[in-house]
Amino acid sequence: MPRWMAAHPHLSSRLLAWRNAYRYRPVRTLLAAILVFVALAVIAMLPPTGPILGWLGRNWAIAFVIAASIFTLSTARRRQHASIMTATSWLASLPAGSPPWMQVVSDMAGRLAGFVAFIVLMRLAGVIDGADFSRLAVATVAGALVGVLAGWRLPRADIGAPGFHSAIVRRTRARWASRPSLSPLGNWPAAQGRIFSRPRRMAPMLIIAMMAIPSGLHSAPGQVALAVAGVCMALFSVISLTAAAVRVAFGAARWLAPTTLGRWRFTVALGWRVELTQILALAVLLLLTGSIYPRGTVAVGVPLVALYLCASLVVVTAAAFEACRRAGLGACGRGS
Amino acid sequence: MDEVLLVQSLQAGYDKLIVLNGVDLKVARGEWLALLGPNASGKTTLLHCVVGLLAPSAGSISICGHGLRDEAKAAKGALGFGCAPESLPNLLTGRQCLEIYAAAKGLAAIGGEVLALAEEFAFSPMLDRFVGSYSLGTKQKLAVLLALLGEPALVVLDEAFNGLDPASALVLKRHLRSRVSARNCGVLLATHALDVVERYSDRASLLLNGRIAREWSSEELAALRATPGEGLEVAMAAACAGSQGA
Repeated sequence: MPRWMAAHPHLSSRLLAWRNAYRYRPVRTLLAAILVFVALAVIAMLPPTGPILGWLGRNWAIAFVIAASIFTLSTARRRQHASIMTATSWLASLPAGSPPWMQVVSDMAGRLAGFVAFIVLMRLAGVIDGADFSRLAVATVAGALVGVLAGWRLPRADIGAPGFHSAIVRRTRARWASRPSLSPLGNWPAAQGRIFSRPRRMAPMLIIAMMAIPSGLHSAPGQVALAVAGVCMALFSVISLTAAAVRVAFGAARWLAPTTLGRWRFTVALGWRVELTQILALAVLLLLTGSIYPRGTVAVGVPLVALYLCASLVVVTAAAFEACRRAGLGACGRGS
Repeated sequence: MDEVLLVQSLQAGYDKLIVLNGVDLKVARGEWLALLGPNASGKTTLLHCVVGLLAPSAGSISICGHGLRDEAKAAKGALGFGCAPESLPNLLTGRQCLEIYAAAKGLAAIGGEVLALAEEFAFSPMLDRFVGSYSLGTKQKLAVLLALLGEPALVVLDEAFNGLDPASALVLKRHLRSRVSARNCGVLLATHALDVVERYSDRASLLLNGRIAREWSSEELAALRATPGEGLEVAMAAACAGSQGA
């Protein structure tokens, strides 16, 4: 190991982790790299990509502000994380340690390299012309530098809240001890869904959705933009609930494996709140869109919602059954 | 003797790694068996097989006479397992965990004995907080309470005293001893806490190289307790050294 790496164990441990990921899982790592490349190619081929990048190149001040905002938030968040990790990681007691600023700078440099590589690839693919490319690259780099400095100087927030702080403690059933019920199991995927759809995760999706709305002379009216944002948020929350139920199924089945609980009871207890919440949320969404576009809602919205609800039910049930099979819950005996 | 756990010729492992290779074990009703062994000797693997979390490749397990494979429901109905604290659901409260577990075991109510133990553990103020906000010791208390729900005939605990404060550890030791002495249940405890084994358990088994390498009866444990400077620690170290030399 080179001397400079030995002097910065936080950095060297991360580099070694990356290298080990390739050594121990070469197929998966290569597959991930290929997927990223394919995703970039798809983005380059999408019709709006060229106009959006060109517009950002011509309006370089906006590109500068966007880059500065992204890097300000990222730096502030990374700085807080680095401070916590410096104090709590397994390397904290070592005499040689990387100061938090070095961890933040290395991380932000990696992200900036990613942004620049994306713009360069788009230029090489002919998606963006030379003049727009130069302006966009300079604005992005300058915005990133300003953002890193601003993010570093932002006042520190409270110590990062773990995920469960986003969830809500539900009211206790009065007869929890005298007549226990499985119904609180439904709170677990609901809480996980809230964590999946918390603002930090929803914000990037909203930005993409808002950028896709036409602007300029032929812009969409403000209320349409707001409606699109609202629908996106609702859909994101609904999809998050399905994803949460799938994820929770495996942890819950393993936790409850030593009990006599059956597969069907487990599936119903796990999924009832998720499905009910989704039905209510999508019904409200249909009512709201129906009040504006009644014909389109009935023709397109209702079948789509019904299809999604059925798909969600099937996915959650299949995940719960598979989780039961893997954990040995229900009738799945394990002793030979 | 009324056996609550019978393990015969058990083989188990992970992928190609064989961890248990012909383990035989018995726990009788009214008996506390301590499972000892060095790190990575297979104690947790054995417990996971006993509670049905891991499928053995060969051998048989029966709980209260019910085979874990053929009569899984009946076998698990007689089982209480103290899961690893880190596997508890962070997004549920302690009260919700107790309620769900009781319902999953098909209990009509959570027994007063468990609620009283929660009081003795000073766990009651934590009941309505998320498990994710608990300390290691508090999670351990919840895991133990879950294991004791429903008066199980066989209580299986893995390092149950890890993280417990001395007062709570004493409460738990006495509680388990009183349950066992009243012949309510059998206890299988995997532990490194040799003082617990010497003072509270009836028998001890040493797991080495995938087999039970040495067993201490209650008389032998009493003799070790009575001999100054010759505790279980020395006897276990000698057994481990003998096994490596063999």
